[in-house]
Amino acid sequence: MSKESAEKEERIAPADRKVPLFSLGRAWIIARGTVTQLIRMKTLYFLLAFALIIVAFGNFSLGGTAAKELSTIKRACFGAMDSFAWMFAIISTALLIPRDQEDRTLYTILSKPVRRMEYLVGKLIGVLVVIGVFLALMFVVTSMILIARQSSFIGDELSAMDQNSRMSQEQRIAQIEFIQRQGFRFELGISAIASFLKAAVIASVTILLSTFASSSLFTIVISLLVFLIGHFHSLANSFYKYHSGDNIIVQMLLKLVKILIPDFQLYAFSEGIVMGGAVIYPLVWQMGLITVGYLVVFLMLSALIFVDKEF
Amino acid sequence: MKFLLKKIPRFVLVLVALMIFGLIRAPFEERVRDEMIEAKLLLPPPAQDTIENLSQSALMATLGGLRSLAALYLSLGAFEHFSNKDWDELRNSYLIITSMEPRDETHWVSVVWHLGINAAANMEIDRNLPMFERKRRFNEYVTEAVALAEKGIAQIPDSAAIRVQLAEVYREKLKDPCATAQTYKDMVGLPGAPGYAIRFYGYFLADCPGKEQEAYDHLMSLYQVEKHRKKGTLPIKIRELEEKLKIPQSERIPPDPRSRRTPSENGKTVLPGGIELR
Repeated sequence: MSKESAEKEERIAPADRKVPLFSLGRAWIIARGTVTQLIRMKTLYFLLAFALIIVAFGNFSLGGTAAKELSTIKRACFGAMDSFAWMFAIISTALLIPRDQEDRTLYTILSKPVRRMEYLVGKLIGVLVVIGVFLALMFVVTSMILIARQSSFIGDELSAMDQNSRMSQEQRIAQIEFIQRQGFRFELGISAIASFLKAAVIASVTILLSTFASSSLFTIVISLLVFLIGHFHSLANSFYKYHSGDNIIVQMLLKLVKILIPDFQLYAFSEGIVMGGAVIYPLVWQMGLITVGYLVVFLMLSALIFVDKEF
Repeated sequence: MKFLLKKIPRFVLVLVALMIFGLIRAPFEERVRDEMIEAKLLLPPPAQDTIENLSQSALMATLGGLRSLAALYLSLGAFEHFSNKDWDELRNSYLIITSMEPRDETHWVSVVWHLGINAAANMEIDRNLPMFERKRRFNEYVTEAVALAEKGIAQIPDSAAIRVQLAEVYREKLKDPCATAQTYKDMVGLPGAPGYAIRFYGYFLADCPGKEQEAYDHLMSLYQVEKHRKKGTLPIKIRELEEKLKIPQSERIPPDPRSRRTPSENGKTVLPGGIELR
């Protein structure tokens, strides 16, 4: 057989070619497509709204001391970032697969030598890239506002202390350090990372739900419920134990919920950092590991359902 | 494996896999949770009475990870209650706020100030209420302020700011010099404690029945230190105690030259500079 005819045969018989079990390259191409898809959904307006909230908070005088105002601005900004991350993760992930179905993009993609697992991984990576970039931008905006407010507060405080000749140098330094502790710290970045990790877990839960859900609305509602119950673990435990005593059925139900639904309350360590808590890096790494565990398991289970799904 | 996939419905497999994963991760997560609570990065679950007091929206916020935002929103609401002198609503708001953010010192300071000073002061002057009711409410608010301050101190044992506020309640509203002195004593050496705390401890101890000698010894030890000696109240308090304790003249501190008064020949008091007091 000549070389030309062999090449021709290869072109007309693609089914004979071996498709690797998983290709990160193909998943990345889908991820890039997902990013473009999300940007086209005008999600950048979220950022604009966030920037307005931050600027409003930054310039709004809340009364109280400089340290208290800085603490309030910081908590409001990071609270908004966290809320944005999980809401965006649920809504965007829930919309993606049905949108691909509506646009018929899904059929085009799945008719190519793309494994369904790659499609799911690509979708998830796309959502996470958008959330990650948005969180990073929000962190930069928040930091700028915090730094600006902090320096203005310190300037005011120094001039007030200059007028008070009774204050020693040590007292002045202590006051400035106290204000700085409530202002910008690089460790605040870990708080943004915690929000990202939480968003990643809820996005993977939403992917799993969307593989068997019949509509986006169903996926969003159930994901929200899972998210709320995930925050409810510890509170529900103490509450129901208090009301039902040692009722074995209640105990079993609580255990069942605990092992089936991710514990989102764990990610609230971001609030601890914002409140001025010291970052303990081994714990952050462990949370990263837990998150990877969730992502792997939920993606595998999504693939288990999605692999034989007929469209 | 293929047999399993064909015979068993997929959602059953998913449930089983989730349960196995849950059983593996639960102990690991429990350990991480405990470590985070210990490191003060995570809050322990709210107490029972708090759960029952949580309004629906606050409960949702607690679950939804919006704890900080909800606390902030309630703080703004509490300020409105303060403006309207709605003290019971203010107290309820702060009970939730302090449960949501028990490690935020400012919430504890605010609630002690509002209840212990503002609400109590309002009860002293509110003519719309009968005297008996005002006294009853005054006691209620002040007692609650003290109890909340103690809860706050239990949450943040190093807090000087809560103790400063508590001391103000003891001093201004309860007129309890012994408790005031003890509160100032407790805050000495804490980070951010005011420099006057060590002197105020002595000043209020001086007014505490039976503690005069202890107060005298403490204030005398401060008197030996140059920076404290310059404070006007210190020698005044020491002189008061010298009178009370009948300290021999030879052991007393020198009289204040500014207040030295000499009787003139005609029996009138003459101030330094020869000014006669009529």
